[in-house]
Amino acid sequence: MPSSVIVAGAGIVGAALAYFLSARGIRVELFDEEAPAAQASGAADGAVSVASKRPGAMMTTALAGIALYRKLARDGVFADLFKPRSTFLVAASDAECEVLEAHCAALSGAGVRVTKIDRATVAEKFRVLSPDVGMAAEVHDEGHAIGYQIVHGLLRASGIAVRRREKVQRILVSSDGTCVKGVATAKGEYTADAVIIASGLGSADLLGLSGTLIPRKGQLLVTERAPALNGRMPGAMMSCRYLLSKGSQKGRPAPARGLALVVDPLRTGQFLIGGTREDHGDRRTNDLDAVSKILADAVALIPGLVDVRLLRCFAGARTAVVDGLPIIGRVGSFGNLFVATGFEGDGICLGPVSAESVVAMVCGEKPALNLDPFTPSRFPKLRIAA
Amino acid sequence: MPKCDVLVVGGGPAGMAAAVTASQLGLSVEMIEQRRTLGGAFFRQPIEGVRPIPQRASVKARWHKLSADMSRAPVRIHYGCVFLGVDSDGFVLFEDRQVGEVVRCAARAVIIATGAIEKVHPIPGWDRPGVSTAGGLQVMMKETGQAPKGRILLAGNGPLLIAAAAQMAMVGNPPVAIVESGDPMRPGLTGLGLLVAPYLLVEAFGFLRAVYGAGVPWLRGARIEGIEAHAQGLQATVVRRNGERSAFVVDRVGLHEGIRSNDMGLPAIADASTSSPIVIRAGDCSEPLGALAAEADGALAARKVAALLGHGQSRGGEQALLGRLRQAQAVLAKLFAPTIAPLDVPDHTTLCRCEGRTIGDLKNLVAGADLKSGREVKHNGRFSMGSCQGRFCAANTAELMTRLRPGAPPVVASDLTGQRWPLRPVSIAALVAATKVKAPVD
Amino acid sequence: MSSESFFWMGKPIPFRAGESVAAALEAAGILSFGPAPGGGPTRYFCGIGACQCCLVRIDGCVREACLTPACSGARVEELGAADAKV
Repeated sequence: MPSSVIVAGAGIVGAALAYFLSARGIRVELFDEEAPAAQASGAADGAVSVASKRPGAMMTTALAGIALYRKLARDGVFADLFKPRSTFLVAASDAECEVLEAHCAALSGAGVRVTKIDRATVAEKFRVLSPDVGMAAEVHDEGHAIGYQIVHGLLRASGIAVRRREKVQRILVSSDGTCVKGVATAKGEYTADAVIIASGLGSADLLGLSGTLIPRKGQLLVTERAPALNGRMPGAMMSCRYLLSKGSQKGRPAPARGLALVVDPLRTGQFLIGGTREDHGDRRTNDLDAVSKILADAVALIPGLVDVRLLRCFAGARTAVVDGLPIIGRVGSFGNLFVATGFEGDGICLGPVSAESVVAMVCGEKPALNLDPFTPSRFPKLRIAA
Repeated sequence: MPKCDVLVVGGGPAGMAAAVTASQLGLSVEMIEQRRTLGGAFFRQPIEGVRPIPQRASVKARWHKLSADMSRAPVRIHYGCVFLGVDSDGFVLFEDRQVGEVVRCAARAVIIATGAIEKVHPIPGWDRPGVSTAGGLQVMMKETGQAPKGRILLAGNGPLLIAAAAQMAMVGNPPVAIVESGDPMRPGLTGLGLLVAPYLLVEAFGFLRAVYGAGVPWLRGARIEGIEAHAQGLQATVVRRNGERSAFVVDRVGLHEGIRSNDMGLPAIADASTSSPIVIRAGDCSEPLGALAAEADGALAARKVAALLGHGQSRGGEQALLGRLRQAQAVLAKLFAPTIAPLDVPDHTTLCRCEGRTIGDLKNLVAGADLKSGREVKHNGRFSMGSCQGRFCAANTAELMTRLRPGAPPVVASDLTGQRWPLRPVSIAALVAATKVKAPVD
Repeated sequence: MSSESFFWMGKPIPFRAGESVAAALEAAGILSFGPAPGGGPTRYFCGIGACQCCLVRIDGCVREACLTPACSGARVEELGAADAKV
């Protein structure tokens, strides 16, 4: 077992790594170019969910991710930070109902608890929804967590002081080239028994992954508090178009620019409304077209939102990988260099559980997750950048 | 969609002067103003049929000229419109509340003149009904022509307290006292060079005469410590420099610790000729020097925009006037420098009203060796996350964070507020209506 | 002079033409505009639309009482009152 580990990147993955490493008594140095949750983790929709996933490695990992959130909530690390709730997939048109039927079958087949709700029952039980809703499906046992709060909770529990505004610029390799010995920043060189790269898009420069990691912009909205309307929402409402936009249903046309709707009632009485998936564009800014279109969709689904005010819009860049799967595991022949990044829009759900498994690997144990589908070795050009 | 050379945001002295000058220089100008009348806070207009509160002749003359110039200028004014910011496509966005939709405006330049807000220090009870800013009481008085009802205590720092008290006295309800942390009457202040701005002296003497004439005690070197509920209204505790405490039972308290730019979240200044749009700030939202300076700065901003848009260079006397007014403000700041140390504020005191967060919450969050950024404190403590977007807590939070962590890099308000639209909470109905202006994206 | 009125929580409040909702409520002795969803009472504070402390619901829309001109017959309510009927 290593006695010290350097982690690059204080997003949700880096914070979870720090937490699990510290819990084993391993000394952690956590570096970030800016500050914790400064990028995607601080601008995420916070879904801890399998509702939009197809059976496969990502779904299996997401189910483990949800289980870990429940455990950490019970243990107190995520006390008051994880809101258990269902996700309701909502279909408005005939085409969407058809997609939803197929998706429900796939989810059930993978062992996910799903309840189909017909039009009449929706109209009777969920008055908050538009009468146009044709059917809904309740995906049980999911939840919501706000990324920056989770990062904060993990760091607080780890008890470490983050090295802010200190970017890892280089990975230092031992003189015989068999292992890494540490990292270099503008402030100096640091050594440790192992190094883990979890710096999202920033990982590209360190590991020669430019072209493999792609920024995918998302725009999200937060309303003011509307406690009564919020209280009548039994869970997150997800338009079935979200499935199309994520490419989860192959062979169907995805909407242009990937505008798709999720309305999540927050604990504060506010609503988080998302979002877009854009392959280009400025990362931190919002445009009126996107915002008004998202809200038009939201009001079409939940008419009561029309009387609420929009408080904030924000945008972030997810770290996507060309093949759609994250990159998690040991890097090349270096026994003590690891990477965990590329979770695209799933970092909040998958980040902590992936970090737990990476820490097991770092400590020479067999990880609880099957990380084979995510192996870095599928990208032969991945290497330590000079 | 409105198209124009210049969109002026805010119809106060800076915005009006900017609009007048810009149209004189041949630019097409539109203006948005959140109220249904022009004037801003300083020239807030009385409602119809109401006798305006007494003002000095020179102030009346300035308003007369400004409004006459404005009515002659071919400026289209959109009333009832709240500025939301500039989006990533470069459109200027505002909420037109009379129509009920968000409008995007293709302006080549935007002059932002959103004025100032008052500083208020957190003390126990500052968030009670009956407690407002002193300027809030003042603009209400200008609007209604009437003094606020009941017993009023004014407390804080600076000349605005005297002005508000004088105006209250002139319309028949002087405050019970003015609590002032500075002491402009203390000996040894004659060498300060107040003569840089003689009008300030004239103004000050006029106000002081009204205040003294009404017998209002001016408690200098004193601070308000807290405001509690009382059977007959509110009970305010006042501490003097010598530690002596006294209580005032009143109906209203007006707080004021000076002004700061109302610049929270504003789009970045973009003043290259290639900027699209050009973004410039004018008046108090650029530098809080008061109404006279705002007028000069508005004209200056218009000249700058005209030059950037290729409408030629022009010069007025604004720079020199601004220089003198900047000096005058510096003198006033020295004159009113607090002579009593800040009081200890108990942990239960509200720091962020919108989100109900206290000073104790902030202390807990920043305790320990891990030096959190302003943004982390915002996110995890919810300071500046509420409806006022940090206008009344971001600076106080940043200041307290800096004080609590000696040796750590100082935190500034913009670390918490960031820079993004909407600058103010905006009706979802109005945002949905905006889609009708232009074809939706998909 | 006050010939017109709006309704505050169902009760008629007289106002003068051009007057803001906040000024009319203050003149009627109403200093607290009801509980804010984030805690604390809503009430008049800055008078220039910046602080968002004086929010009320006017004919269903959330508005700053200090910025909004009073309008004859308008239904003005505490923020929570209308939210509860959604």
